[in-house]
Amino acid sequence: MPVSGSDTPAITCRNVWQVFGKNADSALKQALSQHDTPQAAADDLRARGLVPAVQDASFEVQEGELFVIMGLSGSGKSTLIRCISHLLHATGGEIRIDGENIVEASPKRLIELRRKKLGMVFQHFGLFPHMTVAENVAYPLRVQGMKKSQRMAKAQEVIDLVGLGGRERHYPRELSGGQRQRVGIARSLVADCSVWFLDEPFSALDPLIRRQLQDEFLEIQAKLKTTIVFITHDINEALKLADRIAIMRDGKIVQIGTPADIVLRPADDYVREFSRDVAKGQHARVASVMQTGDGLAHGPDDPGLRQDMTLDAALARCMELYEPVPVRAPDGQLVGVVNPADLAAALQVEQP
Amino acid sequence: MTQLTKGAQAALLAAIVGALCLLLEGVAPWLVQFPKAWVLPATDWVGAGVEWFLLLIKPAARAFSALLFYPMEAASAALNQTPWPLLIAAATALGWMLGGLRMALMALVGLGFVLASGYWSEGMNTLALVAVSVPLALLIGGGIGILANEYPRIRGPVQATLDVMQTVPTFAYLTPLLVLFGFGPVVGLIASAIYAAPPMARNVLLGLQRVEPEIKEAAVMSGGTRLQQLFQCEIPSAGRQIMVGVNQCLMAALSMVIIAAVIGGFDDIGWEVLLTMRKAQFGQSLLAGLVIVIFAILIDRMSGTLTEDRRQRHDPRVAWGILGLGVLASVLFWGSLGSAEDYTLFNPVADRVDAGLSAFTTANAAALTALKNNVMFYVLLPLRIGLDQAVLPFTWGFAWTPAMSAALFAAGAALGLLCAWRGHLALGLMLLIAAGMLETGISQLPWPFVLAGAGALAWVAAGRGLALLTVVLLTTILVSGLWERALLSLYLSGAAVFACTLLGGGIGLASALSPTVWRVVRPVCDMLQTIPLFVFLIPVLMVFQIGEFSAFLAIIAYAIVPMIRYTRHGLTETPAEMIEAATASGATRWQMLRDVRAPYAAPSILLGLNQTILYAFAMLVIAALIGTTGLGQSIYLALGKADVGLGISAGAAMAILALIADRIVQGFAEDRRRALGL
Repeated sequence: MPVSGSDTPAITCRNVWQVFGKNADSALKQALSQHDTPQAAADDLRARGLVPAVQDASFEVQEGELFVIMGLSGSGKSTLIRCISHLLHATGGEIRIDGENIVEASPKRLIELRRKKLGMVFQHFGLFPHMTVAENVAYPLRVQGMKKSQRMAKAQEVIDLVGLGGRERHYPRELSGGQRQRVGIARSLVADCSVWFLDEPFSALDPLIRRQLQDEFLEIQAKLKTTIVFITHDINEALKLADRIAIMRDGKIVQIGTPADIVLRPADDYVREFSRDVAKGQHARVASVMQTGDGLAHGPDDPGLRQDMTLDAALARCMELYEPVPVRAPDGQLVGVVNPADLAAALQVEQP
Repeated sequence: MTQLTKGAQAALLAAIVGALCLLLEGVAPWLVQFPKAWVLPATDWVGAGVEWFLLLIKPAARAFSALLFYPMEAASAALNQTPWPLLIAAATALGWMLGGLRMALMALVGLGFVLASGYWSEGMNTLALVAVSVPLALLIGGGIGILANEYPRIRGPVQATLDVMQTVPTFAYLTPLLVLFGFGPVVGLIASAIYAAPPMARNVLLGLQRVEPEIKEAAVMSGGTRLQQLFQCEIPSAGRQIMVGVNQCLMAALSMVIIAAVIGGFDDIGWEVLLTMRKAQFGQSLLAGLVIVIFAILIDRMSGTLTEDRRQRHDPRVAWGILGLGVLASVLFWGSLGSAEDYTLFNPVADRVDAGLSAFTTANAAALTALKNNVMFYVLLPLRIGLDQAVLPFTWGFAWTPAMSAALFAAGAALGLLCAWRGHLALGLMLLIAAGMLETGISQLPWPFVLAGAGALAWVAAGRGLALLTVVLLTTILVSGLWERALLSLYLSGAAVFACTLLGGGIGLASALSPTVWRVVRPVCDMLQTIPLFVFLIPVLMVFQIGEFSAFLAIIAYAIVPMIRYTRHGLTETPAEMIEAATASGATRWQMLRDVRAPYAAPSILLGLNQTILYAFAMLVIAALIGTTGLGQSIYLALGKADVGLGISAGAAMAILALIADRIVQGFAEDRRRALGL
């Protein structure tokens, strides 16, 4: 039986491998037993003509967390999300959802999990062309054998939630890209999933629609509080949405951290390259450069900084100031001190 | 030596082997003529083996055929007993539902013609066969397609089998079935189901594999069981491709039902065509042929609407109205309308066609004979038996002398040297080989040369594997004693394919350059592709009588279509940006065609050539009905004698030739595609 409880992470991945090629299973076992580091094992597999698309990925996603996996095309992020949702059978490692190892789950149990627990949104929508909007959305209920009137009523709720009311009888080909993805989102939500996979859901949309859908997505997320694994290749999207971000490169996870971590403390040049184009001031918070502790002196000026302000906003308030200024909690309590020079410096170079 | 290109090496090998054979002919005659003593009685072995097997499963087969007898009788009775106004109304209503006014009118006019032609009941008998064989073929084909999709392990073998089934000539199916099921319409029924199943299987598999991966994944993530995923999501998503399969299945079934009429025993429309052709009543056979064409067009266009992307909905009330009208007419006027057999409105027309035809052929006898003889004497005969035997005082007005042979070779060598000197060694060698082939004649080529040449060509096209396969398969034909007939088939289809390439390529080019030409050519192509093979024989027979020339023309008429289509398609589908780039570089129209469009079209044109070759082989067997020699004739004779061994061996030999040609041309096409990065 799955262990459940508030302290069990919603998703746990431990040393997940996905290898493509002939006899991948035995080849991986052999490579892992012969080499000490995952990198050496991966190199060995590659030399033998196999493709290690995901190498030794480990992370945890807490309940209600929005976890973004970011990487360029070919970095293995889509493969990884397919391992977690078990569209692909992971070659090695352990993937637990609410404590239950799904790599070893039976086909019957997997169908049950998908019906009750998992939802997924696809980059190119994956809508069934022969079904109307309502039929598409209600399909996950149909396979469970729910009666038509009941499932249509349920579908209607989600259709309204994503703002597609009035288009229930349209076919996917009659909708715009943004509307199609709303159908995809509605379909993934209709069965009340607790773990939600989104595979580059907004990448195929034009920038304006993308921003609009991102905002609506955040609203839905605030309402439903599901656990989310979100794939994207767009650093700005990742920073905007994520609680935590995992950055992938060539099948490996190179850094996991909050948006501020990624921007201010990139683990290597690859991640640094990503965050170079990002306006750091918009993503890093005052808390990340603030000094805390007792007996910190600050100057007479109090520009009213808060710890959750972005660096840009904070800097705008103390353009003329040179002495350290106080940072306060919403209730006025002093929580730390920040030197305006540090604010400016944080925008120029990363902290070690 | 190492600097030679692959093509030059292959040509060199073929040229050397050919030259050796020619030089050593006096010393070792076995080099040219495969000795009879070396031939294995493979035909008999195959016959004995297959017959033993057939006898083994005969009881089951006979039971199956007895079982099929009932639905066939039922369908036949239903179609024949239903009053014709009701049937016409039903077809018109169906046409309305499928394609609106246009289809409804097409059905009405078409079936009206069938009624007026006096071939109503024969036509209905044919349709009854189709009506039973098609559901059978759809079930079998659909099942195979789905299974091949579900079990990747059997996909390879299934696809290979489908490939082979497509290349085995239609007549070759019939002989073993005849032994198995006995004479009668059931053979035609089963043959047509077997013949029509592969296109269905192919399209179902293709459709299922082309379903977007995300749609499949969405079905999985929705929590569907495998069966739910397959039947609720994947099959409906593949609907259009599957409908293409249904369309092809219907056409194949009709075509085969008509071909199977040569067995006889069922009073259908194909039999009627044969009968009237044999009696030289060409007016009547043309009429019966037109009935077949009408069925083909109606079935094709009506089922074709199912494959369209966005189908309009047509008001079902109109269809019910039409049907009601049919019932009303049947009930009210039943006494006065009379049975379908009484309608023979076109008999006078048919008689007049006969009379006109006789008058035409008598009046133009000289011109027609001259045309026929000129093509025979100056093109076909030299290709078949070589200049050394074809050039006689009787045909060319002088006799071929060794000096002329020497001059021919010298000319070939000179041209070849010229080419080689300009850097085209392979081309030069091929010119030399062509001179040799022209001197010898295709049907008398020395067998070592054919093996070496075909093997070398296959090696250039697709590497060592195909070369080995080619040589092994050709050797099977060689030792089975069918070699001479195979070469005869090769000669006739080769000549026809060559003519199709020139003519079809030219027409395709013209169609690509001028939309006006295409507007004329396109409906003709559509028409030629819809007509069942059989019907092509009628007009050529009318004008040129039985013989190789008529067969040659019939093959060209059937096989030219893909060449035209693919040439035009290739030449017009050049990406716009390439055209723009060429225009911006200042290319003239002609330079654009030569430097941009033609290279880009090459893979497409090669595919057209491939189709043309397969079409030519298919028609070659049918053309045996009007007098060709070669494998087609053997298959036809075997059918008459129910000689399973000969039928299967000759059919297999035919399939081998088609398969080798197919693989070689595909190899070249693949090569071009890769070179273009497509």
